[in-house]
Amino acid sequence: MNNTDPDMKMIQALNITKSFGAHTVLDNVTLEVNKGEVIAIIGPSGSGKSTLLRCFNGLEEIDSGRIIIEGDIFSEKDEKHHKDKISARAKREIAKKLGMVFQHFNLFPHMTVLGNVVEAPVTVLGQKKTDVIKNAVMILDKVGLLDKKDAYPSKISGGQKQRVAIARALGMNPDIMLFDEPTSALDPELIGEVQKVISDLAKENMTMLIVTHEMRFAGEVADRIIFMDEGKIIEDAKPADLFNNPEHPRIKTFIDKISRRDAE
Amino acid sequence: MENYLQYVADSTAFILEGSVLTLQLYAVTIIFAIPLGIMLALMKISKYQSLRYLLTFYTWVFRGTPLLLQLFFTYYGLSIIGINLQPFTAAALTFVINYSAYLTEIYRAGIESIDKGQYEAARALNMDYFQTMRRIILPQVVRRTIPPTCNEAITLVKDTALVVVIGMGDLLRSAKELFSRDFAITPFAIAAVIYLLMTTVIVYFFRKLEDKYSIYE
Repeated sequence: MNNTDPDMKMIQALNITKSFGAHTVLDNVTLEVNKGEVIAIIGPSGSGKSTLLRCFNGLEEIDSGRIIIEGDIFSEKDEKHHKDKISARAKREIAKKLGMVFQHFNLFPHMTVLGNVVEAPVTVLGQKKTDVIKNAVMILDKVGLLDKKDAYPSKISGGQKQRVAIARALGMNPDIMLFDEPTSALDPELIGEVQKVISDLAKENMTMLIVTHEMRFAGEVADRIIFMDEGKIIEDAKPADLFNNPEHPRIKTFIDKISRRDAE
Repeated sequence: MENYLQYVADSTAFILEGSVLTLQLYAVTIIFAIPLGIMLALMKISKYQSLRYLLTFYTWVFRGTPLLLQLFFTYYGLSIIGINLQPFTAAALTFVINYSAYLTEIYRAGIESIDKGQYEAARALNMDYFQTMRRIILPQVVRRTIPPTCNEAITLVKDTALVVVIGMGDLLRSAKELFSRDFAITPFAIAAVIYLLMTTVIVYFFRKLEDKYSIYE
């Protein structure tokens, strides 16, 4: 987990802002992610955590600022010119480096588990189907779902669905994985199996950003924890520092509240 | 009794000859209207506002006026301004445009019923618009719109009877001719049975389609 290469910035977000109407969701956020780093993003609902993640792969457009992915400018806007300087085609090319896992899985229901993993490498990357299947089988084996490869998503549990979703993202061979509350929609007894897959990825030095409400998991898996509130990064620290002596009183209140909820 | 059976057989043969045209018109309409409906549905939810307005006007007009009137317009109306169409061409054109209007709305509603997460997942996997539609959205839309499409397919069987008004000899017209000649109700009964057989085949076909697609539910 500590084999981070300080020279390689996987993501650089510079002064990014984003509003939905009058509501400012991201307020001048600056963040750097190093290679192999695992960052957990925590904070109350509506603090901009998910939006931040979604800006990194283009699901949301920033209003101003700049996002650089592995040295390539992915998004750049200034206050005056509301048109992104980067073309849609160039964005798609850069976005191939990022995989994303959603809270509600968003599996393709009309395809089998294997079909879900195989789809994008064949359709988007134009890879040979036999090769893609071989690779997909390997990935499914890794997430422990090889026996479900011919099942349709409606026939498997939530935890299995999310592991398929992770396998699907990994099928594109990304350098960075974005997790948007990957266990929030799961029954408590299914959370562990998904967290284990994410922990395994962390051991393989995958660069990851994880938006989560699971404090214990964040503490275990992350190299850094970012606390967001009202569209701002309030603290960016090592888990031990953030949990034990947070600089900001707001963080302590939040962590206490979450811990109490978890204890119930 | 034997004479009557012979009569039924002869009448059926005659009416079936008429139904060839019914089937041709049916096939042409289905083959063109379904893809056209899907295409127009995609255009109707596109970001181009003028296109959306144009298609709203189109479905408003063609769903809001009688098919019979549209048929008159294409065949008789257009001939006044010098466009003389063959009866079959006029009928096929009218049916395709009319049915596409209904199917456009069916598929538009189908596309809009697909969860936003499906688009986001496709986008996160770097699929472009056409890949997303072709591989992710439309297969699900087709599944969801099988029942309303089946309804349209059944209605179409019966609507083909309207072509008699532009002088075409179809299934129903053959039956009517026999009725006029023999003053017997049997030809109508035969026509009814043929219509029922056709709709039964259609319902069966759509049921099979539904079974095939429901495998993932």
